[in-house]
Amino acid sequence: MNTQSIRVKIADYAALKEEGMLITVGLGSCVGVALYDSSAKVAGLAHILLSDSSLFKNQSNPGKFADTALPLLLEDMARFGARPNRIKAKIAGGSQLFSFENKTLSVGEKNIASVRSVLAGLRVPITSEDVGGSVGRTMKVMAADGTVLVSTVGNGEREL
Amino acid sequence: MPELNQDFKLDILKEVGNIGAGNATTSLSQLLNYQRVDMYVPEVDLCPLDEIPDLLGGAEKPVQGVFIKAPGDISFYTVFLMGEESAQSLVTNLTGREHSLDGEMGRSVLLEVGNIVTAAYLNALSYMTDLTFLPEPPQLAVDMAGAILGTVLAEANVAEDYILVLKTAFSTDSGDIDGNFLIIPDIDALDTVVKLLIDGVAK
Repeated sequence: MNTQSIRVKIADYAALKEEGMLITVGLGSCVGVALYDSSAKVAGLAHILLSDSSLFKNQSNPGKFADTALPLLLEDMARFGARPNRIKAKIAGGSQLFSFENKTLSVGEKNIASVRSVLAGLRVPITSEDVGGSVGRTMKVMAADGTVLVSTVGNGEREL
Repeated sequence: MPELNQDFKLDILKEVGNIGAGNATTSLSQLLNYQRVDMYVPEVDLCPLDEIPDLLGGAEKPVQGVFIKAPGDISFYTVFLMGEESAQSLVTNLTGREHSLDGEMGRSVLLEVGNIVTAAYLNALSYMTDLTFLPEPPQLAVDMAGAILGTVLAEANVAEDYILVLKTAFSTDSGDIDGNFLIIPDIDALDTVVKLLIDGVAK
């Protein structure tokens, strides 16, 4: 058995075809975006740290931001034969670990809102989600069938 | 001012850490009913973002994190992180009893220690640079190291690729305890601080 497992680190993204698994560990206010084209059996996963690259002067890593990471991930998936119009998304994360008295949106909520609007702009529908709350999450995507598993500290995995 | 090399900058920031550790030692010792406690900073590094979770034992490892926002002349965001075992022995040592980490006593001890470590560092920095910092009340979270780190980075709203990591070690009569003290500045702020520190020395 030589099943490939790719770890997607913070502010990173990756794509995989047919075999193996993409995993990202420790999503707090970050949002994990799992993309899948079931015809081409191509999976993608991004670990989004911040909502909007235009708010920052340091944009050396486009993987950090929702608006820059997701189009690049779609390009990577297209190289494996995925077609944008067949891709569907599942998202997890965007929680609030620290209980600040927020007058405005928490960073987690901002990230969720931004991911939703970027995906809508790319015409990728969100079919399932596990977002918000106050716990960190780990997210896995299987390249064979697009199964997405989400787990939290002290709790087992559940399918998204 | 000539371009300073990275090692030199880190040495200066480590020295601030050691002076801060001296301050923290006094406060911690008071908290410990004047039991002997030493804190020191064995290592300071600028770490790439994606390597920090590994430094903490992996992104999925549960850790205790005390997060403090310190706005002021220059805004600092700090997080003091401890593994479950270290946090447990710290609480036991400080209170002289076993307390659950998620109970009220456990939580307030961790918050207080995070507070002391942060205040000690910022006080040292403030004393040496004349900068003013106004730390807000500490916030505690217990979760995966990666989740806490990502949240802190997003809260700090910085897009830097490096974070200043000060390893901290406490030695008490009842054993040694390790922690990590992370400072998330923007890199310009760090340069400003280093320059002020050098000017101070040259005076």
